[in-house]
Amino acid sequence: MVATPNGFDLDNTGRRVVVDPVTRIEGHMRCEVNLDENNVIRNAVSTGTMWRGLEVILKGRDPRDAWAFTERICGVCTGTHALTSVRAVEDALGIEIPENANSIRNIMQLNLQVHDHIVHFYHLHALDWVNPINALKADPKATSELQQAVSPSHPMSSPGYFRDVQNRLKNFVESGQLGLFKNGYWSNPAYRLPPEADLMATTHYLEALDLQKEVVKIHTIFGGKNPHPNWLVGGVPCPINMDGVGSVGAINMERLNLVSSIVDLCETFVRNVYLPDLIAIGGFYKSWLYGGGLSGSAVMAYGDIPENANNFDPAQMHLPSGAIIDGDLSQVHEVDVRDPEQIQEFVPHSWYSYADESVGLHPWDGVTEPKFALGPNTKGTKTNIQALDEAAKYSWIKAPRWRGHAMEVGPLARYVVGYASGHEDIKDQVDRLLTTMDLPVSALFSTLGRTAARALEAEYCARLQRHFFDKLVANIRNGDSSTANVEKWDPSSWPSEAKGVGISEAPRGALGHWIRVKDGRIENYQCVVPTTWNGSPRDNEGNIGAFEAALMNTPMERAEEPVEILRTLHSFDPCLACSTH
Amino acid sequence: MNVHAKQPALHDAAPIAPLGTADGGRGGGIGRKVTSIYVYQAPVRIWHWVNALAILVLAVTGYLIGSPPTSIGGEASDHYLFGYIRFAHFAAGYVLAVGFAGRIYWAFVGNHHARQLFTLPVWSKRWWGEVAFELRWYLFLERQPKKYEGHNPLAQLAMFCFVTLGLSFMIVTGFALYAEGQQAGGWADVAFGWVIPLVGGSMTLHTLHHLGMWWIVIFMIIHIYVAIREDIMSRQSIVSTMISGHRTFKDDDPD
Amino acid sequence: MNTATETFYEVMRRQGITRRSFIKYCSLTAAALGLGPSFVPKIAHAMETKPRTPVIWVHGLECTCCSESFIRSAHPLVKDVVLSMISLDYDDTLMASAGHQAEAALEDTIERYRGNYILAVEGNPPLNEDGMYCIVGGKPFVEQLRHAAKDAKAIISWGACASFGCVQAAKPNPTRATPVHKVITDKPIIKVPGCPPIAEVMTGVITYMLTFDRLPELDRTGRPKMFYSQRIHDKCYRRPHFDAGQFVEAWDDEGARRGYCLYKVGCKGPTTYNACSTVRWNEGVSFPIQSGHGCIGCSEDGFWDKGGFYDRLENIQAFGIEGNADQIGGYAAAGVTGAVALHAAVSALKRAQHKPETDTSGKEDA
Ligand code: HEM
Ligand code: HEM
Ligand code: NFV
Ligand code: SF4
Ligand code: SF4
Ligand code: F3S
Ligand SMILES: [Mg+2]
Repeated sequence: MVATPNGFDLDNTGRRVVVDPVTRIEGHMRCEVNLDENNVIRNAVSTGTMWRGLEVILKGRDPRDAWAFTERICGVCTGTHALTSVRAVEDALGIEIPENANSIRNIMQLNLQVHDHIVHFYHLHALDWVNPINALKADPKATSELQQAVSPSHPMSSPGYFRDVQNRLKNFVESGQLGLFKNGYWSNPAYRLPPEADLMATTHYLEALDLQKEVVKIHTIFGGKNPHPNWLVGGVPCPINMDGVGSVGAINMERLNLVSSIVDLCETFVRNVYLPDLIAIGGFYKSWLYGGGLSGSAVMAYGDIPENANNFDPAQMHLPSGAIIDGDLSQVHEVDVRDPEQIQEFVPHSWYSYADESVGLHPWDGVTEPKFALGPNTKGTKTNIQALDEAAKYSWIKAPRWRGHAMEVGPLARYVVGYASGHEDIKDQVDRLLTTMDLPVSALFSTLGRTAARALEAEYCARLQRHFFDKLVANIRNGDSSTANVEKWDPSSWPSEAKGVGISEAPRGALGHWIRVKDGRIENYQCVVPTTWNGSPRDNEGNIGAFEAALMNTPMERAEEPVEILRTLHSFDPCLACSTH
Repeated sequence: MNVHAKQPALHDAAPIAPLGTADGGRGGGIGRKVTSIYVYQAPVRIWHWVNALAILVLAVTGYLIGSPPTSIGGEASDHYLFGYIRFAHFAAGYVLAVGFAGRIYWAFVGNHHARQLFTLPVWSKRWWGEVAFELRWYLFLERQPKKYEGHNPLAQLAMFCFVTLGLSFMIVTGFALYAEGQQAGGWADVAFGWVIPLVGGSMTLHTLHHLGMWWIVIFMIIHIYVAIREDIMSRQSIVSTMISGHRTFKDDDPD
Repeated sequence: MNTATETFYEVMRRQGITRRSFIKYCSLTAAALGLGPSFVPKIAHAMETKPRTPVIWVHGLECTCCSESFIRSAHPLVKDVVLSMISLDYDDTLMASAGHQAEAALEDTIERYRGNYILAVEGNPPLNEDGMYCIVGGKPFVEQLRHAAKDAKAIISWGACASFGCVQAAKPNPTRATPVHKVITDKPIIKVPGCPPIAEVMTGVITYMLTFDRLPELDRTGRPKMFYSQRIHDKCYRRPHFDAGQFVEAWDDEGARRGYCLYKVGCKGPTTYNACSTVRWNEGVSFPIQSGHGCIGCSEDGFWDKGGFYDRLENIQAFGIEGNADQIGGYAAAGVTGAVALHAAVSALKRAQHKPETDTSGKEDA
């Protein structure tokens, strides 16, 4: 038994259970746990099992191109790396973007939040709580009644509608070809929904699939495509032309109307479907409040969605910023991403090498040098690992720490920071939810809390899209249609050496890109990504990361069916391509 | 130093005197005074100047294709500036290609000088010796150049690399680019489309073709300089030869 | 390739599985789902009559954007593809099961449908470090890829990653990320490049294969001609401005607001084969050029290393010197001109010294 500095007792003597691949996540991940005789998790090991080397590839390139490279770090949180990258470059070169560009970027970033949260909840997370096979047993009338009870204004709620979906599902299942549902854990007692709720949620799985492709059209309008819309150092690439020659091909009234209609769609779906589903499903799992991990003790956010262009002052950003440590919610610490003492990455348990691995490196001085090596207690061979040796290096994810603390980031972290710092909208949302569900504040610090915070955030972000849409329109009305600042477009106008940092709140949490520019080229580029924080392996002090912490002490119904592990891991919405990049 | 004097004559790029051929190989014995030989037949001369003009047009329009002139205003349908630039390039490209094909044909049916552009006696040690000699002449290490009916060996080597290879490269890459606009299935696509994946994609093809332009420009600079210089400093006529077809010699020395 | 008409039952029989074990499989399926015995004949009937083509979708080094794009498909809707057209039996991004059960699902499909399933590959295998830059089930991804490819009917390489290597294969390609066709050489491979490909192009390729029961016609590099035989530029609605000579000179300038051609700010439309300017993105809402940014050539091999996204001319790296064709050529030409000038000066000097030997008087015939 080992006690970690961040308060967990690790015991790796019990039965080792391996989940690899962890599915319904982005990218490649492995998880190993030790169970005690009661099938309770007593040791958790989370491993990032992919690395592409973007930080290495970026060296020597044109900083104005970096957004496109970093955008390809991830197609699920598409655009957020690009935004963070142009911010980093603008910070380094002292470029100020126009007000319209700020509004458009914010709308795009908020739109991503809404999209990503919806897709995560329905298509990556739902099957941890919802049993689609059980939905076959539902009475469509009962489902209809449930639907009307939880969401009276959702129009798709007739018994006939649910019967159609159920029939389709039945045909699918009776075909014997179960596709994505094959080998699911459908007889596991961990699933607790009655059939009518399962049918309702499964129906919304399909509805959300249709809807999500509409949501992203905002990216398409401003960025030309989704996934991977286009961005620009100095502003946004799309020009605004309301009634001049050629306005038909620019951001014009028709385009704005389309944006506006999608903003409505987002708000409506989140209000009528997503939140009611969360409350309905959550209601059946109220007693399953495991998976809190670090959420009650160490959470962090950088803040995002600046009200005014080029101003990243926490006080005027719509998403909160700050750090909470040692479980002291009365104190929200300021996070300074430029301070070499605050954010550092460690690699003693990661497949990288530093000259001196007893210290951490601030990203401006960060080093990315891969070094794959397995510890002496590994079971298996180099190319056929049976069980990892977590005392040695065991993950492609680095271990970022804030002032030495392993931190949780993400919607729940943002909501905890926001709640603790008195963010009015956030407080209001949280309080309403807890009242509706009849739960104490402490219930937030759980797997379910993470999932709930994500839904609340989707609602908040959907609403903020409207705010920035209105702001954009008002600004255009006032005669400002500028979208890009090209004063420092030409590299000859740059200083010979510069460094900058870009921050954002990606769907999965705090994201930062640190860049050094030398003679017009990238000298060093380091990304510290939400899932790098959450999925981090142990550090040199032995602190475990947020995934590992959250898995601790969770009882499993069946050791060989990892429903609970998936549930808790999924509540973070892991993105492994992001985490290792 | 005059090693060449002891060597038997080489086919074409040989010093003139030992063979003394003139006008398609008839006439002159050793030591006989030769003042004028008919070297470049009319088709070669016509080709030369048409080709020169085509290349001039191709280089100027090609450069503009890579770096277009400043935008003009107004209605798009009122203008076709870039279209004309590209059209001129493609038209000149066709002229260049057809001319080059004609020149190859003439290499078979014309006089033996007409073949010099396409044949390099690379296996001949002696020929390389002459290349070295010419190199020394251009580096001011030889006091007197030799006489040649056609190209001197160094010029022949340069012509082959810059013109024969250079133009072939420009034609192949040019028509491969042209195939893209002409679309899959067109003749250019069938004949040259394979070049695109071979070089690693369309963008790389553009770059190679563009670099080729500079190769040709470098040739032009050297070629025109050398032509004029040789006209002044060597022992035979140069510039006028490409106009009249006749090579005239400025002294009566045997070589 | 007439397997779309072959039923699951026929396939099993062909592989020597008896009717008895077939029925047993059906009851196991029903039991695994917690369904009563009454489902068994229904399942058996379905499998005897209307099989959906099984698809195994594996992931290597990637950003998963190709999957994201796929689920944006509007016609057909992706739910219809997955529920009614194919049987997506393995896809680690979306499947319910994980770990051992996921691996078992993969084995089961390979086993039962040998030679009859489509393998879709997103991302690519790294080959350095024995492949351990991408690990699945404790083993290098390249092993899973080879294993699943062995009995596949055909392979679809989704996106720039699988087709060409994409961003992780950009210089210096630290993991030696390698496109699928360089690892699997004995199967028909359909490359559907793009970073990512357009959703309807992806579903278009799959439905073509299901509808016509054959592979789409491919071009020289293995891309379906139906979507990749023309350049963005050939069908770009800004083309009249290109021909007129009307270009965006700087971001958000008058030309940008009027929708002039983006060639001078680096548009790679003239060198990029893709369907964006016709099919467009997200149900035809827009495409990169329509939203003001040039095409970055995302469906082309090695597009990350073909010069900056805002330059017309490609950066060329040779001997550590970097420049575009005009810089390199211009310097070379200037150097040659300098050498020529020097040479001319020396020549004139020499000529002055040795006047008699180079006398040219009266020898030109005009
Ligand atoms: C001496 C010969 C030639 C020279 C110096 C020359 C030069 C050039 C240059 C500099 C470019 C611009 C490349 C870029 O940066 O994108 C170009 C493009 C092109 N050239 Fe040539 N070229 C030559 C011969 C040809 C020939 C024989 C053809 C055949 C028709 C041809 C067809 C083209 C085409 C199709 C393009 C692309 C035009 C476009 O993208 O709009 N060229 N050429
Ligand atoms: C792009 C432009 C030019 C090209 C590609 C070019 C190419 C050639 C070629 C291929 C030959 C050899 C003919 C053969 O052996 O069939 C040649 C010879 C010649 N060129 Fe040019 N030429 C160009 C421009 C000029 C110009 C502007 C002049 C005049 C100053 C010139 C003067 C000559 C002369 C005098 C010869 C004959 C050389 C000799 O007698 O050996 N050329 N040129
Ligand atoms: N972790 C992560 Fe991302 C997000 N959200 C990036 O910044 O998903 Ni791919
Ligand atoms: S091709 Fe591009 S979009 Fe697709 S997975 Fe690779 S990086 Fe992502
Ligand atoms: S915008 Fe791009 S694709 Fe369109 S015409 Fe101009 S160069 Fe061609
Ligand atoms: S960047 Fe890609 S999305 Fe289309 S327009 Fe160009 S191919
Ligand atoms: Mg990093």
